[in-house]
Amino acid sequence: MNAQPDLSRRAFFTALPAVTAGLAIPAHAEDTATPHWSMLIDTRRCIACQACTMACSIENVSPEGQFRTLVATYAVTDQDGTTGMAVLPRLCNHCEEPPCIPVCPVGATFKREDGIVLVDGDRCVGCAYCVQACPYDARFVNHHTGKADKCTFCSHRLEAGLLPACVETCVGGARIFGDINNPQSEISRRLAAADGKTSVLKPEAGTHPRVFYIGLEKQLDGRVDGSSTADMMWRPGTQGA
Amino acid sequence: MNTTVEVLGFARDASWLPWAVQYFFLIGISVAAFFLSLPGFVWRRSKWLGISRRALLAALVCGLTAPVALLADLHQPGRFLNFYLHPNLGSWMAWGSFFIPLYLLGLIGYAWLCLRPLLAEMGQRPGSLAGLYRKLAYGGHDNLSAIKAAALAATLGGLLVLLYTGMEVMIVQARSLWNTPLLPLIFGITAMTGGIGMTALFEALTGNRQSAPLLNQWLARGIWVTLVLLLAWLILGLSGTSTAAADALAAMAGSFGWLVTGGWLFGSTLLTLWLARNHSNSLLMPALLALHGAWLIRWVVFIGGQSLPKMGSASHPYYLTLTPDSLLGIVGMAGLCLTLYIILTSLIPWDDQANA
Ligand code: SF4
Ligand code: SF4
Ligand code: SF4
Repeated sequence: MNAQPDLSRRAFFTALPAVTAGLAIPAHAEDTATPHWSMLIDTRRCIACQACTMACSIENVSPEGQFRTLVATYAVTDQDGTTGMAVLPRLCNHCEEPPCIPVCPVGATFKREDGIVLVDGDRCVGCAYCVQACPYDARFVNHHTGKADKCTFCSHRLEAGLLPACVETCVGGARIFGDINNPQSEISRRLAAADGKTSVLKPEAGTHPRVFYIGLEKQLDGRVDGSSTADMMWRPGTQGA
Repeated sequence: MNTTVEVLGFARDASWLPWAVQYFFLIGISVAAFFLSLPGFVWRRSKWLGISRRALLAALVCGLTAPVALLADLHQPGRFLNFYLHPNLGSWMAWGSFFIPLYLLGLIGYAWLCLRPLLAEMGQRPGSLAGLYRKLAYGGHDNLSAIKAAALAATLGGLLVLLYTGMEVMIVQARSLWNTPLLPLIFGITAMTGGIGMTALFEALTGNRQSAPLLNQWLARGIWVTLVLLLAWLILGLSGTSTAAADALAAMAGSFGWLVTGGWLFGSTLLTLWLARNHSNSLLMPALLALHGAWLIRWVVFIGGQSLPKMGSASHPYYLTLTPDSLLGIVGMAGLCLTLYIILTSLIPWDDQANA
């Protein structure tokens, strides 16, 4: 088995010779066990440039106005009247207890042994029940295919030994991707280093996400009581293409 | 407390479209109308005979139209086969794909058994279709035991349809407006008031007025229960007893649109109650308002429920457009109901002159 990517983009480049060599040499002992893919998002490193949004849309040919990932951006004003920017890169959490799976009437959505939650496009009937059941709005019915669509952790790229497109393109190295079953992986070391300081979205939903955040404001981890500029922004269908 | 402005976020557009509203509306009404047909056809209560006949017509018209809305929502009708090839029995929707045919086959069988004597009689009348009527009548016996057996199957199917349509929506924890045990009850009781409304509308169309007090009496009872259930949800939400209801109310807070919707819902429900109680001899207005109420509840639950944000602050309001998925679909469904009504009333007399 080839070495699988488990690095942030920045670390990926510094370790490039080792990785390319790794593609040719036998894997570490830890790598032979089934990996469990995960993502760690260090919001302190995210500058909300939306490079990941673009990379994902291009890589996965998402229809216009439909995103598998996007960086939600907030202007947060504290009691003293100081306003700062807070970011929340969002994508499918590849939950350990995904509510999107049991509702599917035809068993088209499933979780692989390596932790990735996928949709079998041949079986999916496009009923959107899973879209309703996902607490994170991570799913949508693809306007082109009429079937459920969501982040796949770029499983097609993983199979080719590549990092997910959003991770590879991230300017600030905010997205760290890898195998949490391998204690030596970059993500495992970062998670260990950030012990107790990581969080997940809507922990109360009991979904046990496998996308972890560093520096996520509690106030932003679900529905946010606040105003939105969304109505002023471009929306497919309402303001023309 | 920090205040936030979502500068950039995204809200998904509704993925259960007005098709879903139409389906839940029509299938609920069909089941309720079928129940209204039982006193006349199964228990042979004389004062219900006329109502039951029109109720059966309403059950057929709505029941045969409903699955079309469901198939349209799948974007590609042939996909329904996967429901039977790969059923996931842990999903309420999968069970629905078995309950719908059970109910519809039961209903069609029941309707045929109830109409057999009438079909036989029409086979005796001169006319080009007499032969067809005789074939359809298949002897024309009024077989009460067979009617009871078919009614039992359709009752079972109908109850299961009401159960699954409520549960399917209720169990979605991610949607705060849906995730309440009151929802199946609200869907059930508004199906009943809608079914009474559709039956009363057909009564009005056949020019039959004597059943108005009886229908309005049952309509008023249904509206009382609806009001109690809606108020119970509101109290559970305002008191914080139900986290989901409280969250839904928090998401609606400060929205003028939701205020108008809530006012409209309660106002029109109270008006229906007032009409049913104080103008118990009128058919058309209470009927139309009852239908409006049953439809509005489903519209608010589905379209409104999907507009409340799951993440962030951005809501996604739904706009009716002149597309097949939207306004044209709603008009199309109404057109299909009308077509079926015309076909069924042209082939079979449903008024009290019919000698069933
Ligand atoms: S984030 Fe949503 S779509 Fe992804 S696994 Fe969890 S429930 Fe399913
Ligand atoms: S849209 Fe597809 S994957 Fe989602 S619940 Fe329906 S059939 Fe399953
Ligand atoms: S892992 Fe791939 S599919 Fe998922 S958000 Fe990143 S680029 Fe998109």
